[in-house]
Amino acid sequence: MSETTRGSGYGHQPPGRAEVSAGAAVSLSGLRKHYGEVRAVDGVDLVIAPGEVVALLGPNGAGKSTTVDMLLGLSDPDSGEARIFGQTPHDAVSGGVVGAMLQEGSLLDDATVGETVGMIASLHRKPMPVAEALRRAGVADLSNRRCTKLSGGQKQRVRFAVALVCDPHLLVLDEPTSAMDVGTRREFWQSMKEFTDAGKTVLFATHYLDEAEEFADRVVLMRAGRIIADGSVAEVRSVVSGRTLTAQVPGATVPAMASLPGVRGADVRGERVVLDCADSDATIRALITTYPQAYDIEIRALGLEEAFLALTGDNEGATR
Amino acid sequence: MKAAYLGLEAKRALRNSRFLMFTVVFPVVLYIIDVAAFGKGNVPGTSGVPYTAVLMVSLGAFGAFMAAMNTGARTAVERSVGWQRQLRLTPLKPTGYLVAKAAVGTLVALPPIVLVSLVGLLMEHVHLSAGAWAQAVLGVWVASIPFAVLGLLVGQLATAETMQVFTSGLMIVLGFLGGILIPVQVFPQWLSNISQVLPSYWLAQVGQGSLYGNTDIGKAVLWLAGWTVVFAFLVVRRYQRDSARV
Repeated sequence: MSETTRGSGYGHQPPGRAEVSAGAAVSLSGLRKHYGEVRAVDGVDLVIAPGEVVALLGPNGAGKSTTVDMLLGLSDPDSGEARIFGQTPHDAVSGGVVGAMLQEGSLLDDATVGETVGMIASLHRKPMPVAEALRRAGVADLSNRRCTKLSGGQKQRVRFAVALVCDPHLLVLDEPTSAMDVGTRREFWQSMKEFTDAGKTVLFATHYLDEAEEFADRVVLMRAGRIIADGSVAEVRSVVSGRTLTAQVPGATVPAMASLPGVRGADVRGERVVLDCADSDATIRALITTYPQAYDIEIRALGLEEAFLALTGDNEGATR
Repeated sequence: MKAAYLGLEAKRALRNSRFLMFTVVFPVVLYIIDVAAFGKGNVPGTSGVPYTAVLMVSLGAFGAFMAAMNTGARTAVERSVGWQRQLRLTPLKPTGYLVAKAAVGTLVALPPIVLVSLVGLLMEHVHLSAGAWAQAVLGVWVASIPFAVLGLLVGQLATAETMQVFTSGLMIVLGFLGGILIPVQVFPQWLSNISQVLPSYWLAQVGQGSLYGNTDIGKAVLWLAGWTVVFAFLVVRRYQRDSARV
């Protein structure tokens, strides 16, 4: 959808993601990080082409932040490696190639907005002017304000200016809008547009499906430390359009349930039936006609978790 | 570019008025009260060294010690709000961080020394030779460097909540055992032996030695530099390892 609309500053079309090219903006291979028994990140491979805007989507605890930390060199992987434009995370950070907004990061209470961004700028080798970073983040008018006197949305945009001031080619944002309401979120992404329009690359972690759909070219789904799906926004949307139908159906069998119209997948435990439906209207009509004794029928939109399951057909995950 | 960073850090440290109040005004007030309590006589067993002078150098040193340590320890707050993680996404190296923060801590240590000394000179009429003044002010200032680094170490180990406990504890232990707050002459031998390995003992020696003219400067420099290196090593090591989310 967006690969043609986004101008690439690198003079070529973003290559297919399967090509592990040296020009990749982000390349993660076999990335693993365990904390004791917990496999926070359990073998992540990901290649992002320059100019792509990619959402790393998943529920809390999926391993998004750990992945981002390893990409930025904030923590070392147990195995595997991360590269940013072919460089180690450390070199990319030192060279100002990558800027990042970290999760739950805050600002200094005793500094003004201008000082905060200025301090980071003074450490980088080739920063953009502080005023320019503030303008791009939409906080130019707040330069002299103390960081304590900012609203939640303003704080995030100041943090965005902090990420921008090194004039990076890649921006990594870890749940940048988690503290914002819908309106502020929209404003935030508006200010991001100037960056992406220049053909730069963005990787953002989020657990908001709508945000991923709206602002990303490509969505990478993570769960339990792995990438379980990776596709265009359209692909994800088609999956998430489904519904889940649950009911008590005496005498139900998996083949019988799976053969109902509109059903993509069926799970039967005793009388309890859980149907993953592409067209729940067709399913319920057929169900009631065929099994008039069915009761406790409930239909609901797929949550994120079910969307993942539907996309991957990963049934073992259903118990989690 | 590094100078701009240092400048902003210094500006932040000096801006905190409550903190300055505590580290600058507190030793001055304590000095004036102590002089009123101990009187203006000479310390017994000395060749005419007045209490006013002894208290001046002791409280100046104490103020410097507190200011340096607190400034460093306040980095615990930066760590807990994730600011240090943001700094890791810049070319700033662990040693650069250490040097910048230690410099700011040392800078903040100067005002209490100067102010207590000014009160001593102008209000309590302390008379010292030029050399003794230099040692009492500049010497004590330089001797406060290890405490700026020790403060940083606390900042790297403590959280924003526990930092106060750490610094208060260290202040009491180092302040008393090192002989900044009470003279080591009153200690039993075994305690005085322990005292002599503490950095605060040598800080006190630099201060009080300016009056008695008996500082073993070489030894003081060695001990203070040694502690600085140890603390600095631990700070850098901890900074390198502690990149995870707090």
